[in-house]
Parts: sequence; structure tokens; C-alpha cells
Amino acid sequence: MSRIASAVTAIRIRDAVAAVDDPEYPGISIVDLGLLESIDIGPDGDITIGLIPTFSGCPALAMIADEVHAAVSAVNELDANRVEVRWLNTPAWTVDRISKTGRDTMAQEFTLAVRNKLEPVACPRCGDETTEDSLFGSSRCRAIHLCPSCAEVIEVMRSGA
Amino acid sequence: MGRTWESLDDFEAFLDQGGTVEVDDDMPNAYRLAVFAFIEMHANSELMGGLTERDWIPRSPGLRHKMSVLAKTQDEIGHGHLLYMVAADMAVKTRQRMLEDLFAGRSKFHNVFHYRAKTWGDQVAISFLVDAAALTSQQAVFKKCSYGPYRRILKRIIAEEGFHMRMGEERVLLIAEGTETQRQMFQQSINDWWWPALQLFGPDSKPDDVLLRWHIKSERNEVLRAQWVQKFVPMLLSYGFSIPDPGLTYEAETDNWIAGPIDWEPLKLTMDMEGPDSARRIAEAAANWDDTRWVRDAMDRAPERSKRAAT
Repeated sequence: MSRIASAVTAIRIRDAVAAVDDPEYPGISIVDLGLLESIDIGPDGDITIGLIPTFSGCPALAMIADEVHAAVSAVNELDANRVEVRWLNTPAWTVDRISKTGRDTMAQEFTLAVRNKLEPVACPRCGDETTEDSLFGSSRCRAIHLCPSCAEVIEVMRSGA
Repeated sequence: MGRTWESLDDFEAFLDQGGTVEVDDDMPNAYRLAVFAFIEMHANSELMGGLTERDWIPRSPGLRHKMSVLAKTQDEIGHGHLLYMVAADMAVKTRQRMLEDLFAGRSKFHNVFHYRAKTWGDQVAISFLVDAAALTSQQAVFKKCSYGPYRRILKRIIAEEGFHMRMGEERVLLIAEGTETQRQMFQQSINDWWWPALQLFGPDSKPDDVLLRWHIKSERNEVLRAQWVQKFVPMLLSYGFSIPDPGLTYEAETDNWIAGPIDWEPLKLTMDMEGPDSARRIAEAAANWDDTRWVRDAMDRAPERSKRAAT
């Protein structure tokens, strides 16, 4: 494959991966969540997609990998047998990988906030500072906060643990 | 302080126009109590469901199922947590009081958690039939629910329950393509869980149902139940399983499956805490609460450490 053809293919592949949503959050792309780490196109046309899990024990890994595999294989003239989706062990996922679009959609559609390190978390509804109710929410990547101003119950995406 | 209304008529007119009530609004007490009872029952059901799910973590057939059961357990407990917070904000009962009432058998939870899951087949039937029934009714509430804090939480819960449904479908396909023994086990589970799942929707809605009148729910029980029957009868038949309803009929002109007469006695028993497994379930939940006290104490005593661990 020529360098230009390879670059065009990489863009198409990236778009295909970006069309895959988080299974728990319809409308939020896994690329906006920062799951896509690498797209490698070998000299013989083999394609390897490297993904980073938010948490290694995440139960959606198999489902996401299957969807990415199907989406990439559907890109023009790619052979499904030559597409491989791999979950990488490094680098570790952190909330820094979530894009602005990802953050905005989470806040608007799901009242979901993101915690950066130890910084206070603003309420997606009223903007005031929230307090932590529990370090753990309905998944290992989320905590539960309460907004003392508007009493909204908020889920907060976070790194680590 | 939020909005106030001159009279119940004014309040109802506000609701009829699609108004959303927020926690600091001066809502009529009857509305507050109705919404509270609805959310409390939902919260209790998530907690009881999470405990049922947890039983299957060590018994799951294989690592992939184990991961999905683990995650589902955490989801259900997390949903319960969020819902208890939304309910507690309504200032009817504290979170502590709601839990005490649940563990003393004084407050309600969904009928399906008054039965015992005995086999992996039961677990698959639950993640397929029961979860779909719960999701169908939650979607009908979420569409137009007049109580804002609940509607916003439901949006996230529904997104996650949709993920459980896909895992359930995967499990059903696996078992449907399994050995004859596995298929027989699953047929038995369908026989045991079909009616409880169908009754989760409750009896036909009464004309004066305040949940409908105040736009807490947006669809009648019998309509949701019919949708569920319509979806699952053809699906299970196509996998080669049978439906334990001798009165089930197919109406060719409308292409509809219609359930036979329903015996509501089992549902009544569960609401009186006299279902087949009610007593054991409640005792187990209460014992679990005591057994895990040390975790809550440790978390309360070490807020700084928990914050460090989070970064």
C-alpha cells in the first residue's frame, strides 16, 4: 500500500472506530472517551487497532472489540481476517483522555461529570461544587456525588482504583 | 425555594401541559408521596436484584459470564444507591429508614425478587425476560415522567439496562444452541419465570390511577404487558422453546400474540411478603447489610484515604 493510500485508509478506519458508541452510553463515541490508542497498517495490509480499557475488568470489552472489528472490517476493501483488535495494557486510561465533545455530551445527555485528579467537581446542572457521596457508583470508573445547591444526584467518571 | 401552585387543579394543569416538577418545588403532598413510593420501590428492587445477581458471581459458567455478572451486580447496587438518594431528597424518609423498612419487610420490591433463582438457566431467564420487563416499564416512565430528578437518573439507568439486555440476549443464544440438557434446563426456567416476569407489569391500570394522572408513568400496565408478550413469544418460539400459557392465542389479522387469563394471586402474595422466597430473601438482605457494616465504617473513617485512592 502506498503511503498516501495508507494514510487515507487510516482516516477511514478512525472514522469507523469513532462511530462505535460506549455500550452503556448511546451517543458517546469510544474515541471521545479516549479508548482508541493506535491504528497500525502493516506493509502487507494487516490492520491492528489498539484500544485502552477504562478499567481492565470492564465487562464491555468483548462487546466493544467485536463492534470495532465489524466497523473496521466494513471499511472499503478490508478483509475481516486481516483486522485485529487488541486491548493494550499500557498506557493506563485516565479521564484526561476524554475529549471536550465527550465531556459535553456526558454532561448534557446524562448529567455525568468528570473528575480531574483531586479538583472539585462542578454540577453539570447548576455549575456549583458537588460533594462526594460514594467513591463507587454503578461501575468501577464512576463515583456518586450530590450537588448541595440544586440537590441533583450526579455520577462522576474518574480515573484509577 | 421553587414554584408553588394555588390549588391542586393548577398543579394538575401544569402537569398536563408537560411541566417538570423539581425537588425544591412546593408540590402537593399526595404527589410527593406517590412519587416517593414509586422511587422507593424501584430502589428496593435494584438492591434486591443486585443481591440476587451477586449469588451467581462464584457460580457463573466461565470468566466472560463472571465478568458480566460482576458488572451487573455493581450496576444494580449503584442504581439502587442513586435512587435512594433521589428518594431521600424528597424528605419523606431518610436513606437509613428506607433500608430499615426494606430489611424488616415493611416496604415493597418487585414481585420477581420474591422467587428463588435455582439454576444458571433461571439466571439467563431473569437477564432476558425479567430485565426486559423492567426495562419496558422504565422506558415508559422515563419518556415523560413529571418528576425531573427521577427522569434524569432513569436516563442513565436505562442506558445501562440496555447493555444488560444485550448480555442477556447473548446468554440466551448460547443456551439455545447448547446441549439437550441445557435446553431442557432453560425450558424449565421459562416455565418458572414466564408468569412472574409477565406480572411485573402489574394488573390492568385503573381509570383513576394517580401515577398516570400525574404523568409519573406514561403508559398503562396492560399496554406494556402486551408489548412484552408480543416481543418474547415469537422470539422464544423461534429458538424452539414453548410458552407455559395454555390460553395464549395468535391473532392473525393484527399479527399479535395475546396472553391467556392471568391468575393474579401469586402477585398479591408477593406484595404481602408471602411469595415463595420472600422471607429468605429479606433475611438474606438484612444479614448482608450487617455483614458489610465494617466496609461502610471503614469508608466513613477514612475519607482522605479514599480520595487519594481515587486519583
